[in-house]
Amino acid sequence: MSDLLRAPAEIKYAEELDWLESVDDNPKPFSWRLSPKMIRLFILGSERSDGLDREIPQKWFGDRSFVERAIVTLASDRGLLLIGDPGTGKSWLAELLSAAISRNSTLVVQGTAGTTEDHIKYSWNVSMVIAKGQSRESMIPSPIMTAMENGAIGRFEELTRSTSDVQDALISILSEKYISVPELDSDNIVFAKPGFSIIATANSRDRGVNDLSSALKRRFNFVRIPVVTNKKSEAEIVRFRTEELLRRHQIELDVPPNLLDVLLQSFADLRASAAAAGSDDEKLESALSTAEQIGVLEDAVLHSNFFGERALTAHTLASSLVGSLARREPEDLAILNKYLHGVVEPRSKEEGGSWPEFLAGGRDAIATLS
Amino acid sequence: MSGAHESTFAGLRGQLQEAAAAFADGPDALEGILLGIVDDVDRAVREPLEIFPVCHHSPASALAMARRLREKQPKVVYLELCEDMAPLLTELRNCRLPVAVQAFATEIDGFPAEWSPLSVVAPITEASAEYQAIAYALDTPGVELVLVDRSSDHVFQWDARGTHSAEPPAQNGGADAPPAEEEAALHGDAVGVEIGDLRPRFAELEEHLLRHGKVRHWSEWWHQYVEVPLGDSDHDTYRQVMLLIGSLFRRLAPGEPNRVRVDEDRERYMWTRMRAHLAATGADPADCLYVCGAFHAASRVAEFGVHGTDTFEIGPRTATTWQHGLIPSSHAAIEAQFGLAAGSVSIAATVWAKNVKRTRVQPYRLDGQTGTKKPARPRKTAVALAPVPQTSPPTDKLTGFLRQPPVLDGLDEAELLGWSVEIVRAARRNGYLASTADAIAVFETSILLAGMRDRAKPTPYDFQDAAVTCIEKDTVPGRRDVRRLVDIMMGGDRTGQVGYDALPPLARDVHDRLAPLELKLQQRGVQRALLDIAAQPELERCSDVLWMLRYLMPHGAARPIMGERKLGERPIQESWDLALGTHQRALIELGYEGVSIEQVLEQRLRRTAYGSQATTATVLETVEDAALYLRSRRLADELGTRALEVLAAERSVDGAPEVLRRVRRLLSHYRTSEPVLPQWIESFVKTGYAHYCTLLPTACTDEDATVRQVAAMLGFLFSMEGLALSLGCDRTQLELAVSQSHPEDPSKTALLWAARTQLGHLSRADLRAKCDALLGNPLVVPAYPRYLSGFLHALEPVPGLADFVVEAVSNAFGRLPDPVLLPWLPTLIGTLRSDGAELAPLLIREAGRIFPGRLAALDAWTPPWRSQPEAHTAEPTPGADTGHGVTLLAAHPATCDALAGLLGCDGTWQTAPPAPHGATLTRAHPDTAIALEALLAGR
Repeated sequence: MSDLLRAPAEIKYAEELDWLESVDDNPKPFSWRLSPKMIRLFILGSERSDGLDREIPQKWFGDRSFVERAIVTLASDRGLLLIGDPGTGKSWLAELLSAAISRNSTLVVQGTAGTTEDHIKYSWNVSMVIAKGQSRESMIPSPIMTAMENGAIGRFEELTRSTSDVQDALISILSEKYISVPELDSDNIVFAKPGFSIIATANSRDRGVNDLSSALKRRFNFVRIPVVTNKKSEAEIVRFRTEELLRRHQIELDVPPNLLDVLLQSFADLRASAAAAGSDDEKLESALSTAEQIGVLEDAVLHSNFFGERALTAHTLASSLVGSLARREPEDLAILNKYLHGVVEPRSKEEGGSWPEFLAGGRDAIATLS
Repeated sequence: MSGAHESTFAGLRGQLQEAAAAFADGPDALEGILLGIVDDVDRAVREPLEIFPVCHHSPASALAMARRLREKQPKVVYLELCEDMAPLLTELRNCRLPVAVQAFATEIDGFPAEWSPLSVVAPITEASAEYQAIAYALDTPGVELVLVDRSSDHVFQWDARGTHSAEPPAQNGGADAPPAEEEAALHGDAVGVEIGDLRPRFAELEEHLLRHGKVRHWSEWWHQYVEVPLGDSDHDTYRQVMLLIGSLFRRLAPGEPNRVRVDEDRERYMWTRMRAHLAATGADPADCLYVCGAFHAASRVAEFGVHGTDTFEIGPRTATTWQHGLIPSSHAAIEAQFGLAAGSVSIAATVWAKNVKRTRVQPYRLDGQTGTKKPARPRKTAVALAPVPQTSPPTDKLTGFLRQPPVLDGLDEAELLGWSVEIVRAARRNGYLASTADAIAVFETSILLAGMRDRAKPTPYDFQDAAVTCIEKDTVPGRRDVRRLVDIMMGGDRTGQVGYDALPPLARDVHDRLAPLELKLQQRGVQRALLDIAAQPELERCSDVLWMLRYLMPHGAARPIMGERKLGERPIQESWDLALGTHQRALIELGYEGVSIEQVLEQRLRRTAYGSQATTATVLETVEDAALYLRSRRLADELGTRALEVLAAERSVDGAPEVLRRVRRLLSHYRTSEPVLPQWIESFVKTGYAHYCTLLPTACTDEDATVRQVAAMLGFLFSMEGLALSLGCDRTQLELAVSQSHPEDPSKTALLWAARTQLGHLSRADLRAKCDALLGNPLVVPAYPRYLSGFLHALEPVPGLADFVVEAVSNAFGRLPDPVLLPWLPTLIGTLRSDGAELAPLLIREAGRIFPGRLAALDAWTPPWRSQPEAHTAEPTPGADTGHGVTLLAAHPATCDALAGLLGCDGTWQTAPPAPHGATLTRAHPDTAIALEALLAGR
């Protein structure tokens, strides 16, 4: 067990990456640590037919063509923009890709409304500038600049949250592949080494806040990651992530499979009702993504571990579902109330199982909140 | 022979045995499957009648077929296609492919009625093996083409579960599935039959193959792992590999039992038919070729082979009448019907064209095939090659094929460059900001993607992925996204067309009769026809045809832009939007119903009129249509008589408004156009009068009968009264019916009052008094609006009451309290808009007459009904009225005395002294008055 709360992918899977690198005899582009095929294998997991001596678990769940397109984009001249609803695994995929390609997934710029051009290019250590003047030593390179110098992958999270002028600073980086430092008289250009590229993520719900300029758009290849609606793979994702979380929190607690089914089914129902809704008031504010499901489950697990009887019940699951999804009052609560009485109640009468308890838990939680 | 038999695949057998032992610890199911596959291949290869396994929409199959036909020159070709479709195949030459051979039945006998109409389609594309076989057999002298599969009738007979949409829905779906296009619906809801359906029948196997092939869908897998390696292989290899695949899918997963049963029955059917044909004609099996799907080639039924058992009994067909024809098809329709990936059939067509060019194989093509270029030089078939006798025993080609490394198609850089440039241009045309830089990126990405997927040459599908990656951004600017653009670029959808000569007589007749319009109606798309009938009277015939087409064909096939057809009107100028080419299938299917559109229309009208759901209103509609479109007095009379029957049997009044409207229109039509009314309409009015008189009391109390329906009944009774009475009806019947009616609903009550006014039972003054009483009574005021709507509906039967209705409405506006009036106003407007389209003008005209036209006049204006009361007060009061007759009698007693004498009474006259009644009473009982006086005086 490492002493990091959350180890980045290259540390967490360091041993696996080392091993893959040792067996990889396929051609590698630029300074990549792994070949494209091995990267795909690292992310999507191995099968018996791949002929490897050990099994590589799957780490990202989704259509394989998305991963292939993403890898190929990074091997080409363009940056990669992963776009999709919140909670679809964009950042996780970006982290895995940069860990596999350059063994460093921490060169991240987080796009916010307060991000400035300095965060993307460089800034100055003021006291050193006063003491020694402007030089390469007194310059603080941004993560992107570091990635350029090392020929690594730089990441830009939530690109559309930062303002347009900041976004446009990326244009020259992506096309000329250098940053000039006009403050310096000599050695004033930082060139990117081969292997440098950028993975940006953007939230499709933020569209229209800070639209990308068309000049920047054409320097990125867009890969749209859809919300997982396939029940089987969603179950896999939830199980995978929850196990990981439980391990991280060192909690010994089983998630009964029937409760997982209840969770997946309730999200599927809520998504269907959101799809049928006419206006925003009729649907939950939440995007109902897979990450949200994991959040609900994690919350329920932690609750039952620390406050409950160290066993997950449908009652706890329902109250954490209501607690996580009810964000607006009264709209969200009304929708959840309608869902509980219109869908869960008939189902608990018909199917029984964990549903009656789930219904009771949901009712209690709504009663507490309203 | 048996020694050679054993040895052909002995090596392979041995290897497979070892493999089975290595993977599954000893002889077991795996070994059974593996060796069984070899047995299947061996058996099919040794069959004296050459079996040629094919797969649908496979250019490799088509190419191998063309080569084999040139080499072998068989005398008889047996083809796996419904045997009843044979006569149509030669008509294929008149069509632009793809088209579908269709068997169609509307008059069904022996199947559940709800299955009707039955329809089976077999689409045929040019890039298919079956087209090669058909073209060869039909155009080579001395060659016979025999279709051996079960008939269309058996397709439904064997459809045990009654789900005749047995084909699985498209499985390529998911988020990327393109929206369904209009072309995809070209086959309607027909059941598709196809030669060589070859696909794993359980999802896990398919998923496994797709995953390991690093492909997205079945069509791509097939292209990559069968099509490309087999592209240039020799006949034996092709045949053995196809047999192997057929057998593999069959042995691994035969699919659900019902489907297997049908498949095996089909194989028994085909072999039985072939043996019968061989026996009848005495043909040598060596000169024959049996073309069937690879799945059926690996059959294990006992009837398999020339020497198979003759144990299968072919059941008789049902009495259903089947019609046959060709309908246009399209790549998209084929993909949608058989669950193929979008674009796969188009890609197959492109690959076929490329392969033909590359391998220089001369494909067969029907003489005069439309839609293709004429061959540059006469085909070689005239100089028939001597068939190569196949004496050498079959050799094992499988081992080599299975061992060879995957064939890597070399990178065709020029082609890929062309694609990349082309897609960028297409994207730009569709609103994308794509540039040359994108073309470069697409080119590079395609190669990288293909490399990741272990192929040297990017497939069209890799290219599609690359184009989406590089060009598609966050939004789609135009109507089509990049994926769709690539589909279109790769050949796009192609829609077939059935040529004039291959059309059924009805469709040909329609085209002939529309020839004066001088339009190319065979072409797809909308065309505008202008008919100046006043200048060119001969165009009136065209107009007739167009109106009938509008009635019979789906919406959009013939759409009038200007001009209408109404009873008693003659067209002068018309303009039409015609899309007969687009709706060719509908026109062809009309052709199955009759030889001319008049006949079909007549049948349809009859069917409607005699259907079990027919109501008087619908039958009258057919009468109108018969008069309108067919101008047929005979049919109109027949249907009118039918309307009479239906009316007599009807017990509800639901259709009354419609009946009234239609019968009025027909009456006025016949009155103006015919010297005497048709017999049926006279009877109809008579019967209707009696009928509605009978139903009136019930309808008034029946909660289900609406006020509109009752109004329509009364309308019928009042407006047809003159005619009915002249035909011998009795008015007493109506009077009795009205007096028997005691509605409870306020609106119906008001309606009845109006009716009684019309009959003279109720005066205007009484009606007015009733309304005043209603308005004056606070307990009934809330119901007043409902009385008012009754009056509004009364305008239909009693139009003379219009001034009174205006008065009632004005009073309502004037006197109703706001809480009652305001909620009712929207209802009033809504009712007037929906039901009162004819009544509103009447009401408005009357209001315009009553109310002053100018604002200034309004101040001095008193409503006419307010000025009337003085006139009324001049009339004697009811109280004074009583003495009226008595005075007269006293003045002239002679009449009365004479009458009394006649009756034998001795009449004496009394004179009643007029005395105040109250005074008499006080005189007889004075106590009260005295007490009162004392009381008052005491104060």
